[in-house]
This record gives sequence, C-alpha cells and structure tokens, in this order.
Amino acid sequence: MVRQWLAIAKAEYLVLSASMRPHRRAYLGILTSLAFIWAVIGAPILIGGVISAIIPMATLQPLLQMVFPGLMRTVALFLWIVLLLFPLSYALQEIKVGQWEIFLSNNVRTRSILAGTFFGKIPLFGLIVIFLAPLLITPLVLAFEVNLIGQILIYGVITLMSLGTIWLSNFITSVIQARLGESSRGNDIAKALAMVVAIVVIIPMYGLMFFLPTMSEMMGMNAFLILPSTWFADTMSWFAVAFNGVGLTGSQIIGFGSILQLDMLTSTVLMGGFVLVTIGLALGMTDRVFTIEAGVRTEVVTTVGKENFILRGVRRLNSGPFGSLMVTNFKDFMRKAQNLSKIFYGVVLAIIMPVIITSMDIGDYQLSDMFLTIIAMMALVGAMPFAGAGFLESKDQLWIIQGAPSGASKFVKSRIVTQAVICIALIAIPSLVMSFLIRMTATELLAIVGIGYMAIFGGMLVSTGITAGNPNYEDTKSPAHQTNVMASVMIAEFSIIGVIFVDLLASLALNINVFGIVEDFFGPGNMMIGMSFIGVLVQWTIGGILVWKGIRKLSSPDN
Amino acid sequence: MARNGTVIRTEDLNKNFGSVQAVRNLNLEVSSGSRFGFLGPNGAGKTTTVRILSGLLKQTSGNAAVCGFDVSTQRDAIKAATGLLPESPGLYSKLSAVEFLEFIGALNGKSGEVLNRRIDSLLGMLGLEGRQDDLLESYSSGMKQKVLVASTLLHEPKLVFLDEPTSRLDPSASVLVKDLILALAEETETSFFICTHQTSFAEDVCDVIGILNAGELVVHGAPNDIIDSMKVDDLEDAYLKVVGGQVDRKALLAWR
Repeated sequence: MVRQWLAIAKAEYLVLSASMRPHRRAYLGILTSLAFIWAVIGAPILIGGVISAIIPMATLQPLLQMVFPGLMRTVALFLWIVLLLFPLSYALQEIKVGQWEIFLSNNVRTRSILAGTFFGKIPLFGLIVIFLAPLLITPLVLAFEVNLIGQILIYGVITLMSLGTIWLSNFITSVIQARLGESSRGNDIAKALAMVVAIVVIIPMYGLMFFLPTMSEMMGMNAFLILPSTWFADTMSWFAVAFNGVGLTGSQIIGFGSILQLDMLTSTVLMGGFVLVTIGLALGMTDRVFTIEAGVRTEVVTTVGKENFILRGVRRLNSGPFGSLMVTNFKDFMRKAQNLSKIFYGVVLAIIMPVIITSMDIGDYQLSDMFLTIIAMMALVGAMPFAGAGFLESKDQLWIIQGAPSGASKFVKSRIVTQAVICIALIAIPSLVMSFLIRMTATELLAIVGIGYMAIFGGMLVSTGITAGNPNYEDTKSPAHQTNVMASVMIAEFSIIGVIFVDLLASLALNINVFGIVEDFFGPGNMMIGMSFIGVLVQWTIGGILVWKGIRKLSSPDN
Repeated sequence: MARNGTVIRTEDLNKNFGSVQAVRNLNLEVSSGSRFGFLGPNGAGKTTTVRILSGLLKQTSGNAAVCGFDVSTQRDAIKAATGLLPESPGLYSKLSAVEFLEFIGALNGKSGEVLNRRIDSLLGMLGLEGRQDDLLESYSSGMKQKVLVASTLLHEPKLVFLDEPTSRLDPSASVLVKDLILALAEETETSFFICTHQTSFAEDVCDVIGILNAGELVVHGAPNDIIDSMKVDDLEDAYLKVVGGQVDRKALLAWR
C-alpha cells in the first residue's frame, strides 16, 4: 500500500522544486554535493582563513571563547526566526486549502497531511540550513577546537532545531490557512500577513547588522532564557565546551556555566522537550486543523459605506471619467490588506534608516553627508509598495480593461495619479519621524520632504512602468513577480546612486569634477542635495520611459 | 452599425499559436441585428475568434471588419462600438458592483448622473439591487457573471460578444439572460455574437448558428435549416454529428 504521507511529501517537493523541473535530479544532486563540500571543506577553510587574516587565531581564541555563548544565542535566534517565518511567509502567498478537500475525500488521515507537507519541505529548507549552518558553527569549532564527536553533536542540534522549527512553522501555516480559507479575501489577508512576517524577519536582520554587540549583551540576559532558540544555542555551546580541544580548566567551565545560567542537562532537556511538545501538539490537533470550513468569503460580507472626504475631494476636483477612475483606484488599492501591509513595510523601511543613523555613535555628522543615502532609501520606499502585485488581479481583468477604447492607457494614467497621492503618506510619516530624531534646519526638512517625495514618486513611476510592461497579476510566487520587484527596486535606487559613478568616471576618464560643478551650481554645502536632485531627474526620466513602454505593451493586442 | 448590413465580416482569418492552428480560414458574415450562436467543443477556437474580433488579439493572417471597422487598424473604434463578456470573471474583488460598473463606465468615457442611472437600471434588471453595495469578493459565481453582463451592456454597444454567458448561472438566471438578449435585440437592434456549449440555449436564443470544429467553420445557417439538412431531431444531435462525442459505452468501461 502506498504511504499517504509519502505521496503528499512527493507532491509538495515537486511543487517547491518546480522551477528546476527540466533537470530536477541533476540540479538537486549538484546543489546537495556543493552544500556538503561547503559545509565540510569550504566553510572551515574560508572562515578560518578570513579570521586568521584579520587577527591571529591564538590572539582571537580567548576573545571568541568569551563572546561566543552570547553571540550564539543571537545568531540562533536569527536562524530560528528565519526558519520559522520564511516558510510561513512563503506558504501564505498562496492559500492551498482546496487540496485538503482532495486529500480528505480520498480518506487520507490528517496526520498524513501534516507529515507529508512537512517532509516535502525538508529537501529545500534542509539545503538552506546546510549552507547557513557552517557559518554559525565554524567559528565556535575554531574557538574551542571542538573534536569530531563534539562537531557531530553540534550539527545534530542544528538539525534538530531546523526540523523542529520547520515542523512548527508548517503547523502554524496550516492553522492560519484553515482559518482564512480559500477565497479572494482569505488570500488577500494571507498575503498581507506574509508581508508583515517579512518585516518581522527584516528588523532583527537590521539589528544584527548594526547592533550586534548590544544585542549579544542583551542575549546574555536571563529574560532570553525563555526563548526556545536560546536552549538550542546553549546546548551547542555546552557541547563545544565539553568536547573542547583547548584544555579548558574546571574553573573555566564553571565560568561558562555562570554565563549560560542553565546547565547542559537542563538545556538539552528543554530543547528536546520543546521539539517533542511541538510534535505532540501538532499531531494531537490535526483533526481540528484540517477541516474544510465555510471560509472568510461566506463568513463576512462587507458592504461599502459613504465615500470619505478625500474621495469626495477627488470627485470635486475632477468630476469626469478620470476622477471616477481615480476614486475606484483608491478604493481598490486601499481596501486590500496586502497593499496596506506593503505601505506599512515601506514606512518601516524609511523609518529604520534614521533610527540607525541616530543609534550609531558616529560623532558629529552633518545631515547633508547622508542626504543622498536617505533619498536613495526613499526611492526604495516608493518602489516597494507598487512593484509586482496590487496592479491587476488577473489576465481576465486585463481583457476587460483592454476592451474599452484606450482602456489600458486610461487605467495606467489614473493609477499613477492615485498612487502619487498615496505617496504623500510615504513621505509624511518618515519625514516626521526624522525631524524628531535628527536635528534639522527648516531648509533641510524642506529638502528632505521635497526631494524625498520626488524620489518616492520616481520609484513609484519605475515600479508602475515595469509592472505594466510585465504584469504578474496576483501571483507573488511567480518568476515574473520576483523580476518585477527586483528590477523596480534596483532601477529606482541605482538611477539615483548612479550619479556618484558618473562623477567617478568623469573625473577618472575626463578629469572633470562633477561634484564641484554641482556644488558651484547649488551653492556651498549643498553638493549632496544637488546630486540627489540630479539623481531624481535621472530616475524620473527612466520612470517616464518605462511607463510609456508599459502603457504601449499593455495596450497592444496579444500576438 | 452595419454600414453594409453586416456587423462582422471575416475573410480567410487564421490564428496560429506556434504549431497549433486555433482558427483556420474563417469566412464569416454576421448580419446587423442578428443573434449569432458560435458553437464548438473546448479548444475549437471560439474564444480566440472573439478576442480577434474585439481587438484584443492579433490574427496571424486574413482580414476582419467589425461594425465596419478594420480589426488590424481601428481597434479603438471597435472597442467603442462593442461590448465583451469574457469567459471567466475578471472582477475587482475589493469593489462593490456599483463601484465596478462605475470603473467600467469611466474607462468608456462615461460618468455622472447618466451613468449612475444606467447602473441602477441594469442592476435592478439583473436582480442585484439588494447586494449592489457589497464587495464583489462575497458574490457567488452566478452573481459575478450577472455583474459582468451588466458591465458589457453599460455603454450601450451596437454589438455584444458573449463568451459562455450562462456557464455559471443557475436555470432561472439563464432564462433571465436569455430574455435580456431577446429583448435588447428586438428593442434596440443590438447584435449578439454568443459563444456557448449549450445547444438548447443557442437554439432558443440565436437566429443563426455557426459550428466551429478544430478552428474551422463547418456548419453555418439558421437552427432549423441545420436540423433539417442534417436530418436530426434537434441542434444537440446536429452538433454531436458534426464534432463527434457520442459515447462508446464499451470503451468507457474498458478499464474495469
């Protein structure tokens, strides 16, 4: 008899590896071989070499031994969050409850569904872990000269942590999907959640980049002992200490014990207990999770109310068809949870920047020094919410729009004007936060708001143009969507930053000082503002061309 | 519109998708004011033909004129004169029926009180007045289809392309659409080009039928003429005789 979980795992694996479908076995074989070569040979040589090149290992070893327990907790927390939230974010981009109906109608046990979907994910996420784990483990192994048994045990803990976390993530995903149901409303909320989850991953990532020392100190605090990732990290640290090759003395080991707080047995029991409880909990609740419910569509019927003052204002300003298009565009965009979460994402990205600037102790810096970077960040903030999804829901919708005379052109133009209004929120909130965090003169604030808005608007133009030229509809898992997002963000940012390269090339090749010319034109001390302004003009030109090409592409009949 | 009494005229129209020939040498004439039924199995080329005729898809070769306008060079004029009900609903899930119809009206250059009155009358006619302010995401597929029918008729087109108009509708809603087509055809001289699988619907509604098989128009004429000439009882039998599809019970159960 065919094992049901195996059949589901195979299907799940085939879906996850669909992008390498033509040569799946060959690709997977190559990737697995590369991963193991990297883990066993490449990473130890590379990381050891890099560390030795910076500071001799003999000098570094005592330092590494001292900071590692705390650092390990930080990195384990990051890995745990990535493993927990990345599969969750990925799975939420497409609600697949419809498949459960097929499983359940074929008398598949609910535990088989959970086990099958879990094992199907293992090859892909397992590979990611094999690539990432050596980065975490190698410095630890080098610092304590851990012997082979110790290394095997540490890799065992990493494996247990990864499997346990993916299992938990798979279970949480199933619960959320069952709750939301397969409907356009459920899909919208799921996509919004996927974006929020991405923010939760991004913030610790920024934290690790900029506040690593502070955070590792924080991780040493007792409060963090309640985090499951700490139990895994501490068990690994204990194994490194227990199987060390540096000849730690009894008093040194007691010293480690006082830093880690929990002894090896307690950490191991907590770690193992956590994994067993999550497995037991998930298996015990499968019958309640995998149920076909009415779903969000039938549970909630939303009736629209009267238009707010902004929409009434738009109608008053333009009472013709273009005003009507703008009003419906506003409603369509702002009612989608996924669009709101993208706006939120953009605002968070913009706010992180000044928070980092003020948190970093970089002395008495001038805002003008950071101006170009801030403006480039604003371009990203403008590009992100409007790239890829949220433009057209389906090809059928495009047929309807194309069915009207010059329909696609009217649609894109009205969309741009609507989005330009939405962009006001994207500049207003970060500017307000920045004015509190950074001391700014009125002129500087005006320049941030003015050129910042221009950069956000330009980023939006670039995204709209690219998405119109290559609509990916609501499929956020498609290569077209990834291309649209990446291309939008890259073009929006690099068209502004590109002015620096122009200066570099001009001074090297032609001996022309572009920065000097700009400073002469914009006045002393305003060189960065001038460069930003020129960058934004370049960005607008590229954005305008992309929109023009996008409209042409969207308007022309299919071949 | 029929500058020459015909709303659609095609000459050797062909459409290839790579090696697949979706439409093959289609020569067709549809008279003004008629209700033309386009029958054929899945993949016969019906939707492709509709998309070419409504200016959404380029033909590989051949010519076609719709409402007197050339499909290669006067697409916007065709779009202004025609309405299209696509095969599957492409509605905005976060708009209500009224808001969606306002959007379609605006795309067609209409706004204000005249448009609002038209929207109210269409929604009332289709029995959606009680749910008109609910978001479309909560509509059943039949209700969505009704909204699409309303959007197709919103700008009072001279020629309406309906691609499978009743495939998602329950019997009473199908009857409603049928009556709507007949009433509009009689009262306003609107012409209809209807793609459908439902032979009974076509027999009741259409005055001319074309049967398309593997991209080729194989039968063309009035329903009764087709039935008489093929010596069958009804249009369904005629259709099955042309495209095949009679079930061989022995082969069907051969796997057992």
